[in-house]
This record gives sequence, C-alpha cells and structure tokens, in this order.
Amino acid sequence: MAYITGVSMVNVDRHYDKGVKRLAAEASSKALEDAEPDTLDYIIVSSSFTYASDVQLDIASYIASYTGFRGVRALAVESGEASGLAAVSVAKSLIDSGLASRVLVVGVDKLSEWPTWKVYGHFSKFYDVEGEGMYSIGMGGIAGILMRLYMETFKVDRLTLAYWPALMHSNAKLNPYAMLRFAITPEKVLEAPPVADPITLLDSFPLGDGAAALVIEGSGRGNVLAELVAVESATGYPSIALPEDPLRFESLERAYQRLTQRADIKEVDVIELHDSFTIMGILELESLRLAERGKAAEAVSRGYFSLGGEGPVVNPSGGLKARGHPIGATGVYQVVEVALQLGGEFPGLKVPDSRHGLAVSVNGSGSSAYIAYLRSVG
Amino acid sequence: MPQQRPETATGIHGWGVYIPRFRIKMEDIAREWGWSDSQWKALAMIEKAIAGPDEDSTTMGLEAAANAMKRAGVDPGDVGAVFFGTESKPYAVKPSATIIAEALGVTPVTMASDLEFACRAASEGLRASLGLVASGMVKYAIIIGSDTAQANPGDVLEFTASSGAAAYVVGPSPGSAAVFEGSYSYVTDTPDFWRREGTPYPRHGEGFTGEPAYFAHIIGAARGLMNTLGLKPSDFKYAVFHQPNGRFPLKVGEMLGFKPEQLKAGIVTPLIGNTYNASALIGLARILDNAAPGDRILVAPFGSGAGSDAYSIIVTDAVEEKRNKAPKVDELVSKKIMINYSTYAKFRHMIRVVRE
Amino acid sequence: MAGFSAPAVWRGRTHRYRLVAGKCTSCGKLHYPPSYSCPYCGSRSMVEAELPRVGRLMSYSVVYSVPFDSKSRAPVILGLVDLGVARVISEITDASPEDVSVGMQVEAVFRRIAEDGGTGLIVYGIKFRPVKGA
Ligand SMILES: [Zn+2]
Repeated sequence: MAYITGVSMVNVDRHYDKGVKRLAAEASSKALEDAEPDTLDYIIVSSSFTYASDVQLDIASYIASYTGFRGVRALAVESGEASGLAAVSVAKSLIDSGLASRVLVVGVDKLSEWPTWKVYGHFSKFYDVEGEGMYSIGMGGIAGILMRLYMETFKVDRLTLAYWPALMHSNAKLNPYAMLRFAITPEKVLEAPPVADPITLLDSFPLGDGAAALVIEGSGRGNVLAELVAVESATGYPSIALPEDPLRFESLERAYQRLTQRADIKEVDVIELHDSFTIMGILELESLRLAERGKAAEAVSRGYFSLGGEGPVVNPSGGLKARGHPIGATGVYQVVEVALQLGGEFPGLKVPDSRHGLAVSVNGSGSSAYIAYLRSVG
Repeated sequence: MPQQRPETATGIHGWGVYIPRFRIKMEDIAREWGWSDSQWKALAMIEKAIAGPDEDSTTMGLEAAANAMKRAGVDPGDVGAVFFGTESKPYAVKPSATIIAEALGVTPVTMASDLEFACRAASEGLRASLGLVASGMVKYAIIIGSDTAQANPGDVLEFTASSGAAAYVVGPSPGSAAVFEGSYSYVTDTPDFWRREGTPYPRHGEGFTGEPAYFAHIIGAARGLMNTLGLKPSDFKYAVFHQPNGRFPLKVGEMLGFKPEQLKAGIVTPLIGNTYNASALIGLARILDNAAPGDRILVAPFGSGAGSDAYSIIVTDAVEEKRNKAPKVDELVSKKIMINYSTYAKFRHMIRVVRE
Repeated sequence: MAGFSAPAVWRGRTHRYRLVAGKCTSCGKLHYPPSYSCPYCGSRSMVEAELPRVGRLMSYSVVYSVPFDSKSRAPVILGLVDLGVARVISEITDASPEDVSVGMQVEAVFRRIAEDGGTGLIVYGIKFRPVKGA
C-alpha cells in the first residue's frame, strides 16, 4: 500500500528570481511540513530540462542538500515529458518493495531561463535525435502533423478541436497554481497566431517554471490525502512514422491495460492528462477508451468531460494547456492535483465526491507513457 | 599513321544538371540598386536562379551527379574519381567531394577532391579525368561543377551570379553517349577576377574580364584545339562556351567564326544566370539533351585568373536512350518559383545574421 | 538540432544521405532510421535497404516556432511522408505553405538539414519537395 500524505505546488510562472534548486526546495519543504526530515528514506527528483539544457548534473543530491536533507538517499529520474510520473512510479516501487517507508518526490523544471528559440531546440530532444529530432521540429511540429491527420481522417473541423483549450482555460480560472487563468472562446483559439499549423498558440502549453512535491508513505497513519493504488507504464514507437495508425498511442494503451490488470478500476471521476497540445489531450482520451475514436473532440465540445458532464472531469486544474507544463514537474503536479481532488482539498475547480482518479503522462508522441490510479481513502 | 590521342579512348557516359527552383527577375535587382534597365538588357539577361536556404554547392552538386549517374547506369563501385569544381565551398577546409561520393555510394576506394580555378575548376577536373580514364588508372570519373555564385550587392556582377550544378560521368569510349576527340588547355596569370581569403564577395576588373581574359583564353584554347585536330568551325554542329552573361558566348563564337545557329542551343545563362563552374557544362548538357548521333560539339569552359579548356566531342547512338533517364535542362529551367529581392538576399546570406 | 558532435553526424551519414532504412529479415518490414531491432517483430536480424525517393504527403505541420538556426526557412514545413514500404518524418522544402496539401506527391532531395551554428558542422540529409514545380 502507498499513500500520499503530503503535497505541495509552486504556482507555474516565470520565476526569474528562483533557480531550479530553490523552486524544488520550496515545494519539498512545504510538502514535508510536518514530517521529520530524518524519517525520509529517499528523495526522487524528476527533472528533464535540467539535462537538456546542461544546467546541472546529479540534480537530486544538490536539491537534497540545498533543501536541508543532506544524508538522505537521492536519485533523479528522467523520462522526458513523462518524467514526473516516472518518478512517482519509482517512488511507489520503493514503498511497495519495503525498501523505503517514506519517499519525497519532487519535480522541477524551468523553461523561462532561455529565449524561446533556444527552448524550441531543446524540445526536439523529446524525439529521436537520430531520426526526426534532427529536423526542425520546433514547438509542436509532430503534434501539428498528428492534428492535421486527425482532422483529415475523422473529418473533424478545427473549431470543434478548439473547445479543448477553451475548457482548459475555463477550468484553470479558479486554480491559484495555474499559469493562465483567463477564459477564452473556441473562436479565439483559431484566431491566435499559428505555432505549428494547424496548432495555434492557444492550443499549446505556456512556457513556465514550476515545482511540485509529494510524500508517499507505506502506511496510512496521519494525514492521508489519497491512496496511490498503482502506477503503470509502457514504451511505444519511437516515431509516429512507424505505427500503421499514428493516431493511436500504443504506449498509453498498453500502460492502461497493465493498470487495469493491476487494479480493479470500476469508475473514474477525475483525470489529469497530458495535453501539451490540444491533439494530445484528444488522442489520450481515445487511447483510454473514454471516447470513441474520432469522437473525443466532439464529446469535449458538448461538455461530456466538463464538470457536471456525463464523463469524468478532465483536467480540472486547467491541464498542461492552462496550468502549465514545466516538463519534469508536470507529472508530479498531476498526481498532487488528483490527490487533492480525492481528498476534497483541491483549491481550484473541485470535482465533488470524486473517489477515483487518473494521472496520465506521455513523452513526445508516445515514446513512453505513464498512468497512475489514485483512490480516496474516505 | 599518327599516334591516337589518349582522349579518343574516353567518352561521356552520363550527364546531369541541377538548377534550384527559385528565380529573381533582373528588374527587381535593377530597381533595388538604381541601375537602368539598359544595364541588364545589355547583358542579355532575363532571370537568374537562386539556391534555397537549405542548398549549397554540395547539395546541388550531389543532385547533378545523381542525375548523371542515372544516365550513366554504372556501378558506383566502378567510379574511381570524384572531382568537385567550385568557388563557393560550404567549408573553407573540408572536401565536398567526399560528401557527394558518400551520398552516391562511391566511397571508399576512390579519388575525391575539390578543385579551385574560379569558373574553370570542374573543367580542369574533366581534362584530368580523361587522362586517368585513358590510362586505365580509373574506370569512371565523376566531374561536378557547382556554384552558389556570390556577388557584392549592388555590383553589376549581381545580375548574373547565380546557382546551379552540372555533372559528367566519364569513362571508356565504348558505350558512351559522346566520345572525346581531343582537348586543349590555355592558361596565363591574368588577374581579371578574384576573391581574397576570408572575404565574402569577389572583385573584378569589369572590362578587363573581357578582352584579355575571357576572349583571349577561350580563343586561345579553341583555336589551339581546332589547329591540333585540323578542324574548322564549320566542322562542328554546336559550340558552347563559358557564359558569364547572355552576350559573351555569342560574341566569342562569332570571333572564332561560328554562326549563331551553332551557338544558341548551348546558351542557358539568360534564363538562369551564370552558374560559374556549371555554366558551360549546363550548356553542353542542353546540347546533349537534343543532339543527334554523329554531331560534333566544341565546348570551352573558362575560368578567371585565367584559363580555358577546349574539347571536341562526337555524339554517339547511345545518347538517345540515355537522355530520358534524368531531367533535361529545359525541364529544370521551366520549374521555377519567383522570389523578390529580400527573399533572395536572405536565401543567399546577404543579410547579416548573428548566431551563437 | 544544435550542438551535435562530429562522430554523431558521421555515424548517421549513410542513412541520412541515401535514405537507407533498416529491413527486417524476419518479417520483411522496413523502418527509418535503421534501428538495432525491428520495431514490428523485435528481430535483431537486419539488413539495409534504400527507400523509394518518391512518396505521398500523409500529413504536415507548418512550424513557426523554430529554433534560430532554422529561421531563414521559417515557417518550416514538417511532413509525414508515405513511401509505400515505409514512412518518414522529414522537412518539405522548396515550398510555401500554400503549395502544400495532404496527398500530394513529393520527391527526395539532398539538402542541409541542420547546422551547428555558424562555425560547426553542416548536417546534410534528405528532405522532400513537391514533385510539381511551381
Ligand atoms: Zn521484423
């Protein structure tokens, strides 16, 4: 058994005045507020851009000592955009194996440190650098190919797909940790500047900095927010050029299948998933079979995944789209948010009486996928 | 009986051309730099070809060589030399010939080098190749002329300096599309055009590039060749010369005693500009695209500095089956995308961009 | 791609220059770039095979958010090209966004695909362009 007993987030923003260690330390110390540092067995750090942009090696140890935990066991996990959930999965393994009884997971990354033209170059490293990563993918090039293919294959128009970012912005309005807290209309999405046409700026995650932390414990004494029932993952095709159907994330389908074998998931009330771009959110909903293939955008547009809709509430935080996507930190934010929802303590858009939640992360176009299942303990 | 000239043992097995799709009109250049239209009209120019931002002499050279190999139909393993003539090298130090050889599958057992002699380097590579092939040292040689020619913005040279490439696969005369009959080189130290190390654009002597340079050397080479072979202009069906503009090749042909109808088939510069190392070689390719078996061709490239080589070539029956195996010059000339002066300036790195 | 090493550029030269794919001797399928194992059946018995040079554009994106070294050709058109026996992700060159459409025929051309700033190596490789000239 693994329980989430402490959580913390830094608001996603351009934190020019704080470095990676500082952001991680703020999140970590808050998550551990009432825990004794010397009862901590491990710190698992999730960071991706720290390496992509040559900032710091052995980041976990430096964060540990900077935060005041010198002596603790520390290691870093890197799995691109899916790093955060990868770190949570490592932490859960330590707990489940009995090697640790209390683990701190902290995810941190900063995208505001460099000019955008440089950050776009780093983004290409989410993809195979001996293949398409050699080309000028920039921000959203591969997702743009998927979006056009989706529109052509399923005859979905651009406006229907614009309901996703509109919903995300609407959800984020109440989230004090979200980077973009303003409403937009679907029409505005189409009017926004193109980033990787057909993707516009308003289909894309904002470039912000963030850190989130959570404490996982093996026994549920004290202040338990939620149970971390299972985390599963799978690797997938290294390129969308390889699968017969590029609009299926084989890695996520497989990870989800493994998760359902590991845990009996009867219903899902809330999901935080990886909508780096609108099309990613749509394809993930379909990979999870929460919508029929080609129908997820339409379901979003009629409120199926909104609060009060028939389906689970998707991304009440605002998702990567509006909360933000500080790469290595994102998965940790998602698990924190789901845990807070299940514990009834989420400070933004609340999903009332939610008992079952998922967090989903994907790197690139599905080279890896992680999925976590959380359950309320009430 | 006089001894056979070694050239007669050699022939052209494949020819190939690459012309980038982008074009700019002469009017646009004239308007930008305050020239009167009479300036470019006197050069008999209409448009010039411009390499795209992801092209350079190496990429164009490879495309031309690949087209030549399609026509040649020879095993890349039988190619023993790759000579790349350019005055616009992407690397000051590092051969382009090896990149092209690698991409063609010719490596590693081959000679490969970049040659420099203004617009004549590829021609020198051709003549050297005839010797290598005739001697049996190599079976086939690939000679590539390719340039993204530079001109100082505002210099009259800007009307003509353009981008393009031509390539030839030379080998034993049997099976070739055209056999060599003879060749002749003529060089002197004539400083008509130069570019100093580390400088982006060449300087030239304007009129001085004409009489003592272009005309003197081409006439020296062409007359020398005809004297050696005992031929006169009327013995040739076609004559093609280096073409720095649309006017010079007609004039030098006339000075040598050729008639306009012998010259026109090989003049491509008015539509694409002066492609430097590829200039005369694209002209020759256009002739081969259309020539009949038995036609005799005089070809004389020229390079500043200065020198010219003249070759006499006789077309064989094999030309017919080879010509449709790769794009013809006229097809390449007609596929075009018009761009304006600012796009041209960006594509050819004339706008100073500061990078890391 | 910026800040890449000379050995990395060198190692990939064959597949980049000649569009060489990996061909699985077990299931017969091709994949690009060549991998150590077959992405379809897992076999590690691979041979190399050159891909066809003409294909169909399955989908594309017009990328405005490009790294600085690509700025001279922005917006960059990134395409998913179906070559029949395999698909590749590549740049579509010699074309403006209005010249490009799903289903159009494209042909391979040899181009500069990346460069390491102004003083580093130039990476050459295959891009695709519309078969139809303007
Ligand atoms: Zn296989």
